Amino acid sequence: MTLPAISVRNLVKRFGQTPVLQDIDLDIPEGKVSCLIGPSGSGKSTLLRCLAFLEEATEGMITVNGEALGFFENARGERERLPSTQIRAVRAQIGMVFQQFNLWPHMTALGNVSEALKTVHKVPRKEAEERAMAQLKKVGLENRAGHYPAQLSGGQQQRVAIARALALSPKIMLFDEPTSALDPELTGEVLTVMRDLAADGMTMVVVSHEIGFAATIGHQISFLDQGRLVLTGAPADVFAKPRHPRLEQFLDTYLDRGASMLA
Amino acid sequence: MSFKLFNLLVQASVWTIGISAISIGLGFLIALGLSAALLSGKAFYRRPAQFFISFFRGVPLLVQLLLIYNLLPFIGLNVPSIVAAIIGMSLCTAAYQAENLRGGFKSVPRGLIEAADMVGFTPSQLFLRIKVPIALRLTFPALVNEAIMILKSSSLVSVVGIVEITRMAQDLASSTYMPIEIFSSAALIYLVICWSVALAGRYGERALPGVAK
Amino acid sequence: MMFDPGVILKHLPEIISGTGVTLALWIAGMVLGMFIGFVVATLRRYGGVMVDIPLGLVVEVLRGTPFLIQIFLVYYGGPFVGISLDPIPCGLLGLSIYAAAYYSEIFRAGYGAVPHGHVEAAECLGFSRLQVIRRILLPEMALIVLPPSVNLSVILLKESAVLSIITVPELTTTVSAIGSQEYAFLEAIFLLAVIYWVIVEAAARLGRFAESRFSTYRFSTP
Repeated sequence: MTLPAISVRNLVKRFGQTPVLQDIDLDIPEGKVSCLIGPSGSGKSTLLRCLAFLEEATEGMITVNGEALGFFENARGERERLPSTQIRAVRAQIGMVFQQFNLWPHMTALGNVSEALKTVHKVPRKEAEERAMAQLKKVGLENRAGHYPAQLSGGQQQRVAIARALALSPKIMLFDEPTSALDPELTGEVLTVMRDLAADGMTMVVVSHEIGFAATIGHQISFLDQGRLVLTGAPADVFAKPRHPRLEQFLDTYLDRGASMLA
Repeated sequence: MSFKLFNLLVQASVWTIGISAISIGLGFLIALGLSAALLSGKAFYRRPAQFFISFFRGVPLLVQLLLIYNLLPFIGLNVPSIVAAIIGMSLCTAAYQAENLRGGFKSVPRGLIEAADMVGFTPSQLFLRIKVPIALRLTFPALVNEAIMILKSSSLVSVVGIVEITRMAQDLASSTYMPIEIFSSAALIYLVICWSVALAGRYGERALPGVAK
Repeated sequence: MMFDPGVILKHLPEIISGTGVTLALWIAGMVLGMFIGFVVATLRRYGGVMVDIPLGLVVEVLRGTPFLIQIFLVYYGGPFVGISLDPIPCGLLGLSIYAAAYYSEIFRAGYGAVPHGHVEAAECLGFSRLQVIRRILLPEMALIVLPPSVNLSVILLKESAVLSIITVPELTTTVSAIGSQEYAFLEAIFLLAVIYWVIVEAAARLGRFAESRFSTYRFSTP
């Protein structure tokens, strides 16, 4: 058994007094696709954002390939925040794809993909753009390199966003409902890119409403409900009948969203 | 009115345009700092910025110019009146631009900042590469408006003796006894300048990278 | 270097009178400007192209030129066409016309912001055009035009200082004269700045208070 890519221990997240996530224990296996599913408000996006350190967990520890993310336990067993340079270093292993793409509107597709290489990693401009171009090619958008986000369709924007994250060669890719903001006819092109990535052996964590995608591509399914991890396992086990009653209830509401194939 | 008189006014407009352009530029830099202070969580930075802005927006520019013009020699800075004029105009426009920029910075979508966070930008890289360009795009129309306001307000530097359009017009009007012709011509020159800036602004807004065409 | 308070006390009557002139000019200019501005906006909306275009041009000229130049034109140019005005009436005229140009744009935007369906509903009920303006458009516009009007009012108050250049005996003229007379020009200008600051802050606060009171009455847009 290899070390998990990400491991989450006793994670609790509260917004003020409101608990959003409670007692989460989760291992994300390396080189596999892990899917987080659950009804809206179940905390699955918040969990993913904790893995990206965009949200700081209130309690608990997250380690990425063995390194503490954000907080560590000091010699006296207290939870202590790491300095921001160290946070950035651990985070560099993680790429994030957002629901709303979040492409920078003042840069072209190529600019978006090459920006971090140039600014953060000080890669010479020409080399950065070559590497960015290679990533755009991977997502099938090399002929859109000079376009600004406003000139691209939602599906194209999301593919650029994926290329932007891939350009920094992350070890883990996080996807926060990557197709939810897209028109139905545009989800296919994004899912195809994600399938290719999975086939290449990328460690992926996907929050998605696409139950069909999760069931076919996912190696590990985690079902969250009301801030708790209800069950985690291989799709064959999780979706096998008889199902957990809360999962059954959730799937009923999503039958028209690709879950019908599981019925 | 002769062409020669009109030409003198046109020549004086170099000063109007020059002083305004420098003040807008300097004011922008000051406004960047001020707006950052305004958005700071620390009252230590926020309060002085708020005080500065309240003062410079609460006092007529004419009074500000007189104040700075008389204050500089008092504190031992004997600078030409053009410097006093530029300092006064820069501080005044900085107060207005800071309020605009604050609104712009607050409107930068959080997701764009998170995306930069994820790829490892340091706070200063985030500020310069993402926040400033986007805030600038959001506040560009307000900036063009402010430039036009400053162009018109620059007529007030005539009171500290700078021979820009207004002062030149005053001098010519009193020596030629043709105030209507002279002041109308001055107005026309201001109009052409202001309308050009407005037009360039509208063109520039559309030409900004990343704006849907 | 602080002003001898005795000097302020000695000149208090003049300072009060200067403040009075500034406030009177400001309020009169604001009221006149608002009225003319409203008439201009209404004429431009309902008067057809032949009214809209020339009035629009006048408004753009007034908005595209410095207030000081406009004042000079009236004050120094007026006598050449038979309009000799004393500083105060000249200042009031200038301030009102200047204000009218900006108010007309505020009202024009206000007209545009009232949902057309509200007007249509009134027209279907048989309201005349004037009744529509008075009973529907004006009350609905009030909320929309209030914030920019407050803004403009503050700008006008500050612009009124420019009238000192044509020797209108308002605040700036009075206080700087005291400064020269007492050989304390810098201190006088400081005092002047503080007085303006206080008035502007008070006006702005009053405006914000009015906005918050007004906003309890709001209308839903589809």
